[in-house]
Amino acid sequence: MAGSVANSVVADRVGVRFWFDSHRRVTTPGRARLAFHPQTTWGLQDVSFGLGGGEGLALVGPSGSGKTTLLRVLGGVLAPDAGELSVRGSVGSLLSIDAGLTPTLTGRENAVLLAVLAGLSRSEAREALPEIEAEAALGEAFERPASSYSQGMRARLALAAAEQSRPGILLLDEVHEALDHEFRLRLVAHAEAILAAGGIVVAAGHDHEILSRLCNRAVWLEEGRVKADGAFREARDAYLKAHAAPAPG
Amino acid sequence: MIPAIEQEVGTTTVESRPQPAATGRAGPRIEPSRLRRKADLLVALSLADMRARYGRDPLRFLKWMLDSMALVAVYLVLRTIILDRGGPAPGLSLACAVVPFHLMMMTVFNSMMTVRERQAIVLNVGFDRILLPASSACTEAIAFAGSLLLLFALMAIYLVGPTLAILWLPVVMLVTVTFTVSCAYPASLFGIWFPEWQNIARSLVRMLFFLAPGIISLNEIPAGAQDWVKLNPLTGIFEAFRDVLLYGDSPAAWELLYPLGFALALFVIFLPIYRREERHLAKVI
Repeated sequence: MAGSVANSVVADRVGVRFWFDSHRRVTTPGRARLAFHPQTTWGLQDVSFGLGGGEGLALVGPSGSGKTTLLRVLGGVLAPDAGELSVRGSVGSLLSIDAGLTPTLTGRENAVLLAVLAGLSRSEAREALPEIEAEAALGEAFERPASSYSQGMRARLALAAAEQSRPGILLLDEVHEALDHEFRLRLVAHAEAILAAGGIVVAAGHDHEILSRLCNRAVWLEEGRVKADGAFREARDAYLKAHAAPAPG
Repeated sequence: MIPAIEQEVGTTTVESRPQPAATGRAGPRIEPSRLRRKADLLVALSLADMRARYGRDPLRFLKWMLDSMALVAVYLVLRTIILDRGGPAPGLSLACAVVPFHLMMMTVFNSMMTVRERQAIVLNVGFDRILLPASSACTEAIAFAGSLLLLFALMAIYLVGPTLAILWLPVVMLVTVTFTVSCAYPASLFGIWFPEWQNIARSLVRMLFFLAPGIISLNEIPAGAQDWVKLNPLTGIFEAFRDVLLYGDSPAAWELLYPLGFALALFVIFLPIYRREERHLAKVI
């Protein structure tokens, strides 16, 4: 079930700004105010689009174009510094390379924490543990610290925990590219079920084959701005054409 | 099952349920379900933090007690041998300062790192980051509860019997924990804003112990310096523990009200700043 509310995403001229301190490290605006000459740059600017139930959106673009930043804004990890964003629906996210797992905690402990973070109560999270354990299929590694996991194992556990909250909106940031063939199929099936139930999938990455299976639409981001927004194949082809290496000679 | 996430941060609106129809009542409402969710999240974050920081050994409460005991032993040597100061039950008097100070110190140290140490979840999930410093304080408060055993052990060793004043102990502990939680927010902001200054901050925090009646009690400090020492909110907390456990008296009102007022001031100043900054935490780590 993809939620009892109509899932939707509406971004209207969304912008995300980064501040730098005198050491040229990214900092917060409060700290930047204490610096003599704070520098700023926009990671996202004037990003507008709308998504309704049943839509899958691929974010394509070169590294540093703002795909991850946009996914983080959609997931509530970052707040926009300009524009307006409305996200309706429960969000499940796999956004970071470690898939949200704390390295020193075991798979079981991470599963409880992730499930509570996803919106379950602690008792619901504990009740869901056998299902998470079975879905993640980590075997004995479930009782070992996540620091001993491969990237794919982390993604499997995080996905199994995220599934427990029955998200209506699924956000994926290249994490799916670390999964083995079997779990890729499962992820695709899971995403298709969300879409079929009126949910939304937003995925970023460079594996366009898997993106094409999940998404009917694509937004091409370039230097934090929307360069194209349309049917997946058209937007993807436009992006690839713009970034194609010049023919030798 | 749909998670009860309904938040509005700046210009972002995230809803997982239809908004209830307007009832015409003015002002924000505190919904029990949201409070329960926050409490669940706070407990989950604290337990995860405790396991990550202190392991899973069921005997870890002994380690917490030994931590405080080791500090008491160091200062006991300093007080009785180096400084040649006696006084009634010197070990218990020291422990009355060391145990609450250890809570405050460890909470500040933990809070300075709390966002970076939880970067895996901060970068992956949208949740109320206001709970992060509070969970650091909760983790250390559990350790604090474990180290209270040291105080009772020292009362037995020095043959200091409990009086009715010990009924004040929960109040004194509550004031101590409230003061500690209030320190967690500025500490967390400091850790985000000035990561390269953390070692100096740690030294300054340790200095607070010596700018309060930590090694010797307040009445052993020269009269001229007592008023200055009282400006340190730890003074009231240390003396309140001594009153209740060592002297068998009720704590003086200022010993509880001054740290509480100080905590309130820290909340009033730093909670709104943290609220503004939490929206940007994922950019920094």
